[in-house]
Amino acid sequence: MDSQFLVSLVLILATFGLYIGIAVYNMARQTSDFYVAGRNVPAVFNGMAIGADWMSAASFIGMAGTVMLLGYDGLAYIMGWTGGYLLLTFLLAPQLRKSGRYTVPEFIGDRYSSSTARLIAAVATIIISFTYSIGQLSGSGVVIGRLLEVPTAVGTIIGVVLIAFYSALGGMKGITWTQVAQYLVLIIAYLIPVIFMSLQLTSNPIPWLSYGRIIGELQQLDQQLGVSEYVVPFTEATKWQFLALMFTLMAGTAGLPHVIVRFYTVSTMKAARWSGAWALLFIGLLYLSAPAYAAFSRFILMTQVAGSSIADLPAWTASWVNTGSLSVADTNGDGILQWEEIVISNDIVVMATPEIANLGVFVIGLMAAGAMAAALSTAGGLMIAISAALSQDIYYRSINPKATESQRLLVGRSSIIIATVAAGIVALNPPGAITQIVAWAFALASGTFFPALILGVWWRRANGPGVIAGMLVGLTVTLTYIFAAKFGGFTILGIIDTGAGVFGATAAILTIIIVSLATKPPSKETQEEVLDLRYPEGMTYKDGEVWRTDPVETKRPEH
Amino acid sequence: MRKIDKKQADAYFRTRTTLVTIYLLIGFSASFGVVMFAEELSGFSVNGMPFHYFMGAQGAVLTFIILLFVNAIVNDRIDKKFGLDQDLEDKK
Repeated sequence: MDSQFLVSLVLILATFGLYIGIAVYNMARQTSDFYVAGRNVPAVFNGMAIGADWMSAASFIGMAGTVMLLGYDGLAYIMGWTGGYLLLTFLLAPQLRKSGRYTVPEFIGDRYSSSTARLIAAVATIIISFTYSIGQLSGSGVVIGRLLEVPTAVGTIIGVVLIAFYSALGGMKGITWTQVAQYLVLIIAYLIPVIFMSLQLTSNPIPWLSYGRIIGELQQLDQQLGVSEYVVPFTEATKWQFLALMFTLMAGTAGLPHVIVRFYTVSTMKAARWSGAWALLFIGLLYLSAPAYAAFSRFILMTQVAGSSIADLPAWTASWVNTGSLSVADTNGDGILQWEEIVISNDIVVMATPEIANLGVFVIGLMAAGAMAAALSTAGGLMIAISAALSQDIYYRSINPKATESQRLLVGRSSIIIATVAAGIVALNPPGAITQIVAWAFALASGTFFPALILGVWWRRANGPGVIAGMLVGLTVTLTYIFAAKFGGFTILGIIDTGAGVFGATAAILTIIIVSLATKPPSKETQEEVLDLRYPEGMTYKDGEVWRTDPVETKRPEH
Repeated sequence: MRKIDKKQADAYFRTRTTLVTIYLLIGFSASFGVVMFAEELSGFSVNGMPFHYFMGAQGAVLTFIILLFVNAIVNDRIDKKFGLDQDLEDKK
């Protein structure tokens, strides 16, 4: 047991102690608290909580590595995951806030006056959140695996236990304040190594300004080696794949139930707009840093690791080779490790970076704590979304309407444990890189919720049969395309599995429009309710007239 | 509850919708637009990187953040103009 292990473990345990302490302090007592945290979180803090909820293992652990390995083509993840907040904040969040529903399935069920639609939405929430949480557990497996120097699968099992315990305990109220703490831990952990690397390589402490120079040097190195250049676009896939992936990630962001639910925790539409803006600022800090990581790590690998004698590799390579995520075989047998002979997994670049740059045990430990915060906070939010869908939308509304509050809480908590364990079993042998698994969840969200919510808010003629058909078609098309592209080698315009959302969303939107127009329009009350979403709080639409109301009346009473 | 002129309420809705449309057009040009013409836009550098790379790694994200804050600030002003300032109402 070396000192690195002890330092990492102490930092992880200390930060976990902090999160659990906050969660216990705020221990949820009532269902309305458990799900939406009493709706009184200030916009700046809600923005941080959205940030922590949002920045998952995929952003923290996977993204910089994806950008490093894909070059320009990896930037689709950066733009897609941030651009989604435009769609969300401009087109959905304030309206959903005004509608005053608690969960996405509840909104869909009420808006389309259909309990079938609500049930489909609840099932879709579970499928999407479940897929997403596989990526998180697989990420915590990478971290814990490296920490204990055990196979990633064993790390995943430990992660499952932690996440199940933690989500079932806290509830949203715990999680909102816990996530503010998690955001701070993970952003500090992410920024410190990249600032140090920037200092080491360019003597400039501001990575966002300094890495351009490194990119220039990478271009020259690539030309000397004759490999495909880092900044040249569309070397890994077609332009259409880039655009499709970017669309999928944006639309998926706007349709992710566990992110949208965050906008119910604010008290007004105004707070929803500000929360979205703060959230993107906090998220942007990490997203602007990921390409800097990618450039610095690639530069160090190319100049300091590649070209060294195979017998004399830096010590950090050995521990990553042990986890199975790095390969440094001297395939041409000349005793020197060439750049082409390094095979590095997307998922270890960020975690290995402080070791590559030789930043010391404390920074490496901090990185592990930050990565765990990222995986854990997102998994927590996902588990709440799954438990809300199961206990509120399926159990309470469809199976046992007489359920008492404690029965519903019991169903909610046990569903968290079951879902975590099930996702953990899949994550033992992850079906792809973390960013890729997570991209499938976004594809599913953009094929189901994005069309249902956008049309539900902006087109009053959309009706129940339309949305039922639309969500089913969108789900089927997206799932079929993912499987056909991943396992059947079937592609259109070079668009692969991660870009599937563009087809799902198109199919779902067309289906909703065609079926809605072919069937009866929604009731007058429903149409009025949709028109009412156009106006801010303080204005209510009724019988063709607009009424000025005291904002207190329009705030939904707490249950 | 008192009735107000529907024209005024619709003016609010129209202003909001127009602004949101403009914001989205700007946001989409910074992302989808630049990607569409990535090869053509790689000839000059910003912040040490070819322009298309700069937009993907930094420019688009900064544009999005600025748009969201502009939207929040402008919308607060519109609310005030239409007499819907929520902070004032909350204090009553």
